[in-house]
Amino acid sequence: MPRSLKDMRPVYVVGIGLHRYQFLSQTSYVELGLTAARAALSDAKIAWPCVESAYVARAFLPMACGRPILRHLGATGIPLVHVENASASGSAAFRHACIEVGSGIHDVSLVLGVDKPMPIPREESLTGIGNLADDAIAPFTHFAMLGARYASQHGVKTEDFALVAVKNHLNGARNPFAQHQKERSLDEILAGKRIAGTLTSLQCTPVGEGAAAVIVASEDAIRALGIEATRAVRVTASAARSQRAYENADRYDAILTEETTRMALAAAGRVPSDLDVVELHDAFSVEEVEYVEAMGLCPSGRAIDALKEGVFDIGGRCAVSPSGGLIAMGHPIGPTGTGQIVEIVRQLRGEAGARQQPDAKVGLAHMVGLGAVCYVHILET
Amino acid sequence: MVEEDGNGSDTLKGTVETPGDLLKPALYRREGSTAAPARPALLGGKCVCGYVFFPMQHYGCERCGSTELSPLALTGRGRLLASARVHLDTGKHRKAPFTVGSIKLEDGPIVRTILLDNTKPFHADDPVATVLVDVLDPEGVIKRDLRFQRDA
Repeated sequence: MPRSLKDMRPVYVVGIGLHRYQFLSQTSYVELGLTAARAALSDAKIAWPCVESAYVARAFLPMACGRPILRHLGATGIPLVHVENASASGSAAFRHACIEVGSGIHDVSLVLGVDKPMPIPREESLTGIGNLADDAIAPFTHFAMLGARYASQHGVKTEDFALVAVKNHLNGARNPFAQHQKERSLDEILAGKRIAGTLTSLQCTPVGEGAAAVIVASEDAIRALGIEATRAVRVTASAARSQRAYENADRYDAILTEETTRMALAAAGRVPSDLDVVELHDAFSVEEVEYVEAMGLCPSGRAIDALKEGVFDIGGRCAVSPSGGLIAMGHPIGPTGTGQIVEIVRQLRGEAGARQQPDAKVGLAHMVGLGAVCYVHILET
Repeated sequence: MVEEDGNGSDTLKGTVETPGDLLKPALYRREGSTAAPARPALLGGKCVCGYVFFPMQHYGCERCGSTELSPLALTGRGRLLASARVHLDTGKHRKAPFTVGSIKLEDGPIVRTILLDNTKPFHADDPVATVLVDVLDPEGVIKRDLRFQRDA
C-alpha cells in the first residue's frame, strides 16, 4: 500500500537561508553555499552538529561539490548525498530529506541547493538518437511556441503574457535576495530585447548563481533542540512525476503540472482554492499562464483575465510567485526548488515583510525540470 | 559563403536540386513514402503496440517498453501546432533570425524543427510538409538538410 508524506510522522521546515541570486561572479560556490547553510542554521537557532544528514542539490557544479562546502561547518561525518534533477534538483533534494525525516531514519536534515552556471553537454546529444534541429530548439524557442499556441487557442494577445513579468518584477523589487530587484512597466518589458516570438528578455529567467538552504526536522527534534514550534511550517504533501508518452507531447510541462499538483492536493486533503501562496516554475512568462490553469487556480483560458484582475497579486486571492519567481528572483538551477520552499515558509510564518500575502496559511511550491520531471510540495501552518 | 536569408543562416539560396549528401541520413531520406511520394520521408518507427515514433531507435518503446520496433517511413506531412520567429542565436552554428515550428505529423509524432520561411506568416493548423534544402555543414561542405514548409 503506497504511503504519502502525511501518513508518516510529521515533517517541518524549521530553518531557511539564502545567498542572493546574482549574475555569475568570482564568488566561490563554497561561499555561496556556506552563506545559505549558516543562515538556515541561524534561523532555526540550532548548531551544525544537530544536523544528521545533508542533501546537496546542484545541476552545473561538478560532482561531489558538497563536502568542499560543508566541511567548513565542521566535518561531523553525517551522510551526504548529491542530487541532480535539472531545474528541479533543489525540489528533489527537499523531497528526499522530508521522506528521510518522515520515515524516522533521521530527525534533522539539511537541504542545500547551490550552483554556478557553466557549459555542460546536453543530455540528448549523447543518446545516440538523432535530432532534426537540436541546435535550434532551446527552452526559449519551446516556450515561445507554446505561447503562440495558447494565444491562438484562447484568443489572447501574446503580448498579454508580459503581464506575468510586470507582476513578478514588482514582487522581485521587494525581495532583497532576488537577482532582478527593479519594478518594470509593461511598456519596458515589451520594449526589451526580443528573444523569440513575442518573448522579450524581461519575460525570461536570468540564469545566475546563488544558494538556498532549508532545515527539515521532526517533532522530536523540535522538542529536543528547543526549536521555536510556532515558526515551524509543516510539509503536508510531496508529489513527484516524470513525463509519459503524451498525445499532446508539446504541452508536457503543463500536463505533468496538472498530474503532479492533483496528486499533491489529494495527499494534503486540499483543493486549489485553499492555496494562499504559490511559487511556480515561471522561467518564461507563458509558463505561469499555463501552470495556474493546470493547477486549477483558474479555469482554462482565463489566466490572462485573472492576471488583469489582480487575482495572483500579493493581496489577491492567491499570490503567485511573491518572491519574484524565476523571472525576477532568478533561477540558479540547483538552488531554485529549495529557494521556493524558503519563500513559502517565510510567507506562511508571516515574515515576508513588504511582499507578505495577508493571512497566508497554505502554500504550494512547483518545479518542472528538463527530462521532464515535476515536483509539487504543499506546506501549511 | 553563407547567404543570410532568415532561414537559419546556413540555408543556401538558389540551390533547389543539387546532389549533395544528406546532413542527417539517419533521420530522413530523399525518397517519399508510399502515401506521399513527393515529400522526403522521415525515418520513424512503429512498435508492436501500435505506437509510432520519430526518429527510429532500437532501445525500446516509450509507451510500452517493447523492443519489437520496426522502421516506418513517415509521410513528412502534418499540421503546424505553433511557430515562433527566433531573434536570438540558439547555438554557435545557428544564427538568428529563423523560424521554428512544432508540427503534429499525420502519422502521430510531434516534431520541432526549423520552418522554411517565406513572406506569408505561419498560422496554427497550417498544413506543412518536408522539403530538402542546401545547407553548409560545420566544415563548410554543402549538404541537404530537412525543413518543413507550407504544403500546397
